[in-house]
Amino acid sequence: MSILNYFKPVSTWPAEKVRLFLKEKNLEDYNLVDVRTPKEYEQGHLPGAQLIPVGEIGDRLSELDPKKPTIVY
Amino acid sequence: MEGGINAWKGLKAEGAPQSGMAYFSPAAKPEELMALAWYLEDGAYKFYSEMTEALQDREAKDLFKELSRAEERHKVSLLRLYKEISGVTSDEGFPRSVITPGSEGDVMEGGMLVSEALKWTKGKKLTEILELSLSQETNSYDLYVKMRRQMKDQRSAQVFQILSEEEKQHLERLSSLLEKKI
Repeated sequence: MSILNYFKPVSTWPAEKVRLFLKEKNLEDYNLVDVRTPKEYEQGHLPGAQLIPVGEIGDRLSELDPKKPTIVY
Repeated sequence: MEGGINAWKGLKAEGAPQSGMAYFSPAAKPEELMALAWYLEDGAYKFYSEMTEALQDREAKDLFKELSRAEERHKVSLLRLYKEISGVTSDEGFPRSVITPGSEGDVMEGGMLVSEALKWTKGKKLTEILELSLSQETNSYDLYVKMRRQMKDQRSAQVFQILSEEEKQHLERLSSLLEKKI
């Protein structure tokens, strides 16, 4: 088996689909996570996004509700 | 979200080649996971070594040099673990005896070809290269956490625990440098 057989495509949503989803749902219906650095977050982020820098995700998973869909960017 | 914040703002999102892939092989044997990890470490080593030469920024050069050395150490750890687990005494054959390398060339995390990644870096800003490296280290961390969970014996689990912790440190170092360079 070749090394590339160990990978599969990851499904992602285009920005417009996310925009529509956020418009139709309430903030309480989903987890919206910004995994960039604090400085990037300060420069601009999606409305209601929670900042969890990527290096901290493993330690802060409890801050996300596993019952809700999670959008990450 | 595809394209991240750039796509949200309506800007053209130019992602790195093959970045939309993830490791997925729950049925793999421990030896296969070790060989897979070795190939990915080797790919990362080659990418970081090239970046050490190509970049002008002193801090970035130093960090990439350090990262390339760390990936070399990881390859040694994986080979040692493979020999312990499989009972093979020679260094020869691994990892080719376990997994055939792709005919496309060296591969990094996410199934990204090293050659494609290097081509992509041409003309890119340091922050973009750091972001690509961050995505690589994030995938490495994720991969080792998954592998640690799959390992039945304590020794293997411990090795993958150490590797995942080191990848997490790399992630933090790259994040700090990116934060500084923004």
